[in-house]
Amino acid sequence: MKAQETMPTTKVERSAKFVKTGFQIGGNYIKHYSKKLFNPELSRDELNEDNAADIYNSLSELKGSALKIAQMLSMDKNILPKAYVNKFTQSQYNAPPLSGPLIVRTFTKIFGKTPEKIFDKFNIKSTHAASIGQVHEAELNGKKLAIKIQYPGVGDSISSDLKLVKPFAFRLLGMSEKELNIYIKEVEERLLEETDYLLEVRRSVEFSVACSQLTDVVFPTYYPELSGNRIITMDWIEGLHLKEFLQTNPSQEVRNKIGQALWDFYNYQQHEMRKVHADPHPGNFIITNDNKLGVIDFGCIKEMPDDFYEPFFSLTSNNLFDNKEATIKAFRQLEMILPNDTAAQIEFYYTAYKEMISLFAKPYSTPTFDFSQVDFFEGLYNYGEKIAKMPEFKQARGVKHFIYINRTNFGLYSILHELKATVKTQTYTPKFK
Amino acid sequence: MASAAAIKKAYIDFVLTHDEKPKSVYSFTKKLKITEADFYTFYASFESIEKSIWVELISETISEIQKQELWAQYSSRDKILSFFYSYVELLKANRSFVTYSLKTQKKKLGTPEVLSGVKPIFENFAEETINEGLESGELAERKFLSNRYKDALWIQYAFILNFWIDDNSEGFEKTDEAIEKGIQVTFDLFQRSPIDSLFEYGKFLTQNGKLKEKMGF
Repeated sequence: MKAQETMPTTKVERSAKFVKTGFQIGGNYIKHYSKKLFNPELSRDELNEDNAADIYNSLSELKGSALKIAQMLSMDKNILPKAYVNKFTQSQYNAPPLSGPLIVRTFTKIFGKTPEKIFDKFNIKSTHAASIGQVHEAELNGKKLAIKIQYPGVGDSISSDLKLVKPFAFRLLGMSEKELNIYIKEVEERLLEETDYLLEVRRSVEFSVACSQLTDVVFPTYYPELSGNRIITMDWIEGLHLKEFLQTNPSQEVRNKIGQALWDFYNYQQHEMRKVHADPHPGNFIITNDNKLGVIDFGCIKEMPDDFYEPFFSLTSNNLFDNKEATIKAFRQLEMILPNDTAAQIEFYYTAYKEMISLFAKPYSTPTFDFSQVDFFEGLYNYGEKIAKMPEFKQARGVKHFIYINRTNFGLYSILHELKATVKTQTYTPKFK
Repeated sequence: MASAAAIKKAYIDFVLTHDEKPKSVYSFTKKLKITEADFYTFYASFESIEKSIWVELISETISEIQKQELWAQYSSRDKILSFFYSYVELLKANRSFVTYSLKTQKKKLGTPEVLSGVKPIFENFAEETINEGLESGELAERKFLSNRYKDALWIQYAFILNFWIDDNSEGFEKTDEAIEKGIQVTFDLFQRSPIDSLFEYGKFLTQNGKLKEKMGF
């Protein structure tokens, strides 16, 4: 009947869940090191896998923001080893459905009418789950609609869930709590924004208008008059989710077309709008029957202020790396090099970040880039694993905006990798004021 | 020209303004300009007015939800959920009275006096719904226990009502959560579960006791 039998409800119960996981992870380390005593060759893969399984198991019993955080972490493949990522990506796909009566209740609260009275047809069984809500199919005046309904109490539990997740994040990212706070706050702001469906409708309209010149990207029409703080009504986009689409064995040409649409969509937003759909996980896209890219979720938008955009994108364009002084200046602006760093530290971080960014910006360095290359991604993962082990990177560096921008770009890259697409990378390039 | 509705209305107005019952039926009827006899034609006491308001609220809820188009499609679980959502919605319009009425009850174990009329109606509704679920196989038939399912729902009723009284969240959203989660868990327990299988297996083993001897215990 349901994905899971019970869900820990109170904060105490949820904390208990996290504490239990903490113990399990501790246990996994003990298991790992005791095995290692006898077999020094043992790799950390098994340990990582044990940890990922335990963390995932406890996160999957939590709803709302914890699920969202699992999603976030799953996108940030840079920080997480592969084993974590595989487990976490599962969390994007399940949540127990709201009961029929609660759906009716949500409608009557917002519109004073039951869904059958508003729509010609309304399917009380949800078609799929979104991380903080679920989607229903409806019909009005012959038009098929998608109705997104939010779980009650999501906003409330975000802040408390984030407090609970902190020790985890600390464990996973190896940062101190004080350093972590500024990032946690950024995540909290974005997550709270995501619960504001009225804001999401406004943004969806704004983005679909602004991006209307991108020919291979389509957006559903939104109906603000049929939306409220916990309900969004939009057109139903017919098509397949990425995974289903890939199972149909699309031709390389079609893959490239979708990949290019995705690439253009992101680069257009970054450089023309300076704000970006920051949730590129496969569930937010639909490949339409005429092979266009449908974008269906504008819950998470990251705006890039000038003092982030300018130094960040100047690094990847304008051959800035040829000029060491200018590069260091940009690193300082982005707080990747801090005011109190010694000369040796400056040299170290300069070299490390330059290497990291060059690696990451590789697709931009050639007119076309083939994202099916395993080497490129292996390189990224390995570099991520390498710096995760370096004591110099235990300390938090970089302005808070990196969290969502990195997440966005990693998400974009990994979807393109799944698509095995080759794209023209210089369609929309950075613009400076 | 006294009517039950007019007396009830005047009574609610009085208690909400004064935060206490009228001193006596005499003083109350005098103010209302009706005779005491008129009052007693409709109500035996102030308590019976309160009791009848509670009864009206629940009866109205039940008849409202049964009019919904979706009602016939609903499972037992959905019907109970639907009841509670509609009930708290209706209570919302009478929140001051509801809060007053429960607050002034003497603290004691068991059902408060004002709810004594509500209980049989609720239990009747719950029992009907549960029986439908038992027949359709949605819920598990358990000897002795399935007769008590309705008691579990009455406990939920009391819990949800009290939760709602203390709920400060916007739009009573927390109460919605309490209903959703509480009823889901209750119905999960009513369903067939591994415990049933385990119990049946245990029964089988004890009934086929020969097994024990054969295995040398």
